[in-house]
Amino acid sequence: MTTFRRVAGKLGALLLTLFLASLLVFFSRFLVPGDPVSFLLRGRKPSPEAVAQVTAQYGLDLPPWQQYLNWLTGVLQGDFGRSLQYRQDVSEVIGDRLPVTLMLVVMAGTMIAVVGLTAGIVASLNRGKVLDRAVLIGLTVLGAIPSFVGSIVLIAVFAVQLGWFPSFGSGEGFLDMAYHLVLPSIALAIVFVVLVGKVTRSSMVEQLGREHVEVATSRGLKRGTVIRRHVFRNSIGPILTVSGVLVAGLLVASSIVEAAFGLAGIGTLLVQSVDRLDFPVVQAIVLLIVTAFVVVNAIIDVLEPWIDPRAAAGAGAR
Amino acid sequence: MTLLDISELTLDLPNGKRLLDGISLTVAEGETVGLVGESGSGKSLTARSVLGLLPSRATMGGSVQLLDQSVLDASRSELLALRRTRASMIFQDPRAGINPMRTVGDHLTETMRLCEGRSAADAKAVAISLMEAVRLPRPEEHMNQYPHELSGGMLQRVMIAGALTSSPRLLICDEPTTALDVTTQAEIIGVLAEQRASRGMGMLFITHDLNLAASICDRVYVMSAGRVEEQGDARQVFSNPQAAYTKRLVAATPTIVVARDSAATADQGADASATTSDAVPSTADAAASASASATPAPVEAMLSASGISKTYVRRGKEPVRAVIDASIEIPRGGALGVVGESGSGKSTFARMIVGLEQADTGDIRIAGRERTSVPSSRVERLEHARSVQMVFQDPYLSLDPRITAGKAIEDAMRLHRNLSTTDARARVIELLEQVGLGDVHAQARPRTLSGGQRQRVAIARALAIEPDVLVMDEATSALDVSVQAQVLSLVEEIRRERGLTVLFISHDLAVVRRLCDETVVMKTGEIVERGRTIELLGNPQHPYTRLLIDSVPRPEWNLEAVAAEASELEDPVAQN
Amino acid sequence: MTTPTMAMKVLRAPRVRRSSTTFLISAVFLGVVTLAAIFAPLIAPYPPNQVDLLNIQAGPSPAHWLGTDALGRDTLSRMMFGARTALLAPLLVVVFSTIVGILLGLLAGWRGGWIDSVLGRIFDVIFAFPALLLAIMAVALFGKGLVAPVVAMSIAYAPFVARLTRSLIASERSRPYVAAYRVQGFGGGFIALRRVLPNVMPIVGAQSTLNFGYVLAELAALSFLGLGVQAPTADWGAMVNEAQAGLIGGYFLPALVPAVAIVLVVVAVNVIGEELSDRIGGEIPA
Repeated sequence: MTTFRRVAGKLGALLLTLFLASLLVFFSRFLVPGDPVSFLLRGRKPSPEAVAQVTAQYGLDLPPWQQYLNWLTGVLQGDFGRSLQYRQDVSEVIGDRLPVTLMLVVMAGTMIAVVGLTAGIVASLNRGKVLDRAVLIGLTVLGAIPSFVGSIVLIAVFAVQLGWFPSFGSGEGFLDMAYHLVLPSIALAIVFVVLVGKVTRSSMVEQLGREHVEVATSRGLKRGTVIRRHVFRNSIGPILTVSGVLVAGLLVASSIVEAAFGLAGIGTLLVQSVDRLDFPVVQAIVLLIVTAFVVVNAIIDVLEPWIDPRAAAGAGAR
Repeated sequence: MTLLDISELTLDLPNGKRLLDGISLTVAEGETVGLVGESGSGKSLTARSVLGLLPSRATMGGSVQLLDQSVLDASRSELLALRRTRASMIFQDPRAGINPMRTVGDHLTETMRLCEGRSAADAKAVAISLMEAVRLPRPEEHMNQYPHELSGGMLQRVMIAGALTSSPRLLICDEPTTALDVTTQAEIIGVLAEQRASRGMGMLFITHDLNLAASICDRVYVMSAGRVEEQGDARQVFSNPQAAYTKRLVAATPTIVVARDSAATADQGADASATTSDAVPSTADAAASASASATPAPVEAMLSASGISKTYVRRGKEPVRAVIDASIEIPRGGALGVVGESGSGKSTFARMIVGLEQADTGDIRIAGRERTSVPSSRVERLEHARSVQMVFQDPYLSLDPRITAGKAIEDAMRLHRNLSTTDARARVIELLEQVGLGDVHAQARPRTLSGGQRQRVAIARALAIEPDVLVMDEATSALDVSVQAQVLSLVEEIRRERGLTVLFISHDLAVVRRLCDETVVMKTGEIVERGRTIELLGNPQHPYTRLLIDSVPRPEWNLEAVAAEASELEDPVAQN
Repeated sequence: MTTPTMAMKVLRAPRVRRSSTTFLISAVFLGVVTLAAIFAPLIAPYPPNQVDLLNIQAGPSPAHWLGTDALGRDTLSRMMFGARTALLAPLLVVVFSTIVGILLGLLAGWRGGWIDSVLGRIFDVIFAFPALLLAIMAVALFGKGLVAPVVAMSIAYAPFVARLTRSLIASERSRPYVAAYRVQGFGGGFIALRRVLPNVMPIVGAQSTLNFGYVLAELAALSFLGLGVQAPTADWGAMVNEAQAGLIGGYFLPALVPAVAIVLVVVAVNVIGEELSDRIGGEIPA
């Protein structure tokens, strides 16, 4: 199969998944019984202007599929409608909040990669020994700390008791923002470090037991070389796959951390919009997260043949 | 000059289990030394100890001297040096032994670039010349190919070339041909012998195959349960074994060598069955002698399959014609062998006969009843099952891990017959005893049973249904030779007692020879030759059959005499 | 010939003999928490919502073992009542998602073909919605509380169970023992339900046990965000939420107690789940 055909196939699958997801996001509103106008205007005064505005924005007088097409056309042009609480375009509201969340996710992602890989590699190279057990126990305990628990413990210890870091807000300017985001990104990273650490360890351990590793050793390659060129190289596939799945979780979990630390990011916007019944914003953020997840995983999918040449041939990956 | 000198080597696990118990052996320059033994004999561990490949958890004793270097107490850098210059190892399964995610070229040049510091171009030139030496067809092209693009035989050549990059003095081969077809094995053995001779290397050759060891080794060591049972000149050890274990092993090893007087052999077989089955009505004997006399006797065909074809169509790939117009016929009580290498379609053929796959065209009849189409009702399904049963290759996977041996047999039995629980239980014990097991095994789950015991359970389970025909698909190829011999004896005995009709699928001519009156040879989906087994082996007509027979390693001497002598020692059923 | 590899595995695989004391401790701890939840009305020292404004933010004392919160409510009593939603909601999610997941996974894995492809595609779409996101969406649609999130999380977790079941069933289906049953004349339904399914159940069960921990943490997070259980109802996640304001003032206990309880329960569940899957790992042929 040519690379082109394969990539085209993946792209098709990506678009199909996104299409189905958009159906789910859009038509979920129709699951709620009752009048769509009053659903969208829950908790607000159904003034004639408001009703007219919502009706016009959603084309509520049109048949559902027409509503969907209009909405989708807008979304594809970056128009997610208007926020009910801010009386602003949804895209603007989200745009304002995006930098904090992106920064948070990037910082947490870096920690996850560094700490998770290190823990997994160290454990696997000492498998069965004390260090391995210590890492495993550590991971099991860390893995049980939900990000909101991590957040409040970090606030209590490092912000309130020690006063090293701020406990609230996202700061001004790049460096200040990074400083404000240290504790939040740790809180966000904890659970994901565990997942990456565990999959790294098991993937490495599996490869260490493979015969080709013994062959490489028998040929007089240094242990470090064997680990790098044969064990770690071959473990990348599963690690990357798991990391891809984590992306969506990371974006959602960031809303918890943002709420705990009072950061003005996408996550708090999502929670706030749910709280204040601002459905257009909820819809837009959900779609954004889902799209990020699907795109990242599609990229990993496309990269697979470079990671495992057998995938290109369509041979059963073993 | 002595290359390798292992003396009094011991290996203990932390739990106190001793896996190697005082192994001593030597390999001299230019010499091929065989290390022969069955599963768990410790032969692979011994081989690995030479390169210091055993993990530190194991406690070692004795000494391993490779040229001037003592291995067991070597430092890390000394170990690297000896692996880089003195000895190389070729592993059993090239598919597992070469990193699937790196190119063949990378595998070959890796050590030259990273350990010897050669330039990439230089390393490539050496790699290509080595690939030519092991007769890989397109070295330049292979450099950039990945392992999954090459066949098993080609990969094993890559592995050999890779082992030779360091110009080792000693080449250790750990079952290098076990994962390969017999014709490929012959080619690989040829390459190995050639390289050993031209480089004057010493070779330590580990194998479970006596015939192979006998045909290529100068000296052999026979190992069992971590000890060397016997050693000496290869010819001497196998033609005149001294140790009881060696005698049993030799006796258990099937051979394709046809005695000059083939009729005598046939008579011998008939005699044997006559003496042991006095009490049993001799229908089987009658059938056997009928087919043995090769007259087209008017025996009703128990199994007849005609014009069977099967093509697998896969999207985006060439369709595979797995079986092409194959026809066979087995008389009641007969045993037919289907021999072929991997990809010959023999297993697909067997699966169509038992109804696991549907033939595209053709007609299968068992005991005169049409058995080609899919059973459409429960009644038809059960009738089909009563006409043919199957014993599978891997006894580890063909038994349900959760179900005890007794329950497995009982379930099969009660599916087909209405029996009270007590009757069924009694019948189960009876069957277990018939296959050489006892009521203690009825409660055992598969994982607590050995390979041989599992295969006996599988046979008992098939017999519980009392089928007209029993299909055995490579049913002994996962077993050690001695266990294989016991299972084969069991099948022979059952044939005699029950007059069972057997279709025996195997890659191993020697095994087929032992069990089957008649044999067909399959190659890429087609039956290329058929006939009485002895005649087919003694006087093959088709070039492929000839190639197949010539590829089987055959020591120059006659093992039969030894086998006859040792047969008194053999107690097929009692042991496992 | 499996000899050399087997011999090497004996040497290689260092079996970490996990002491089952941790397993035992975890099980006992979960048992105690469960009993406390069930019998909360009988054994709790105070009603969960009894406000005592003279005793706010009190430290541990004989009267209030775990202190009181900003409204003077007894933390221990609230923990006992809070355990009810904290444990029951994830249990419902796990039971529902396991049943649905096994049924769909069995269907996809055993039948294969187009059913498998269609279900696989549907699962792929649901995977793109993390469970918590789906729960948040459910709240946005149907309002706050636990009912909509529990349904949403069940839907989100079912595909995980289904995909695991599917792959296990599909790999079992290709094993010779299944072919052996067919040759013996057993029907497909019998083989699938009575023979193959029981062989994969332990692994699915271990996975579902682990899922319980995740779901518990996620539903607690939802209450922490103020979208799940609503004040003043006692719930561990909601308690952390309410106590968060006191953190800056140095009142850690009301937030830490439920937070630590969540962590301990999840650790215990993970220990049990991991040990279960370890034990099974030894028995199912690889």
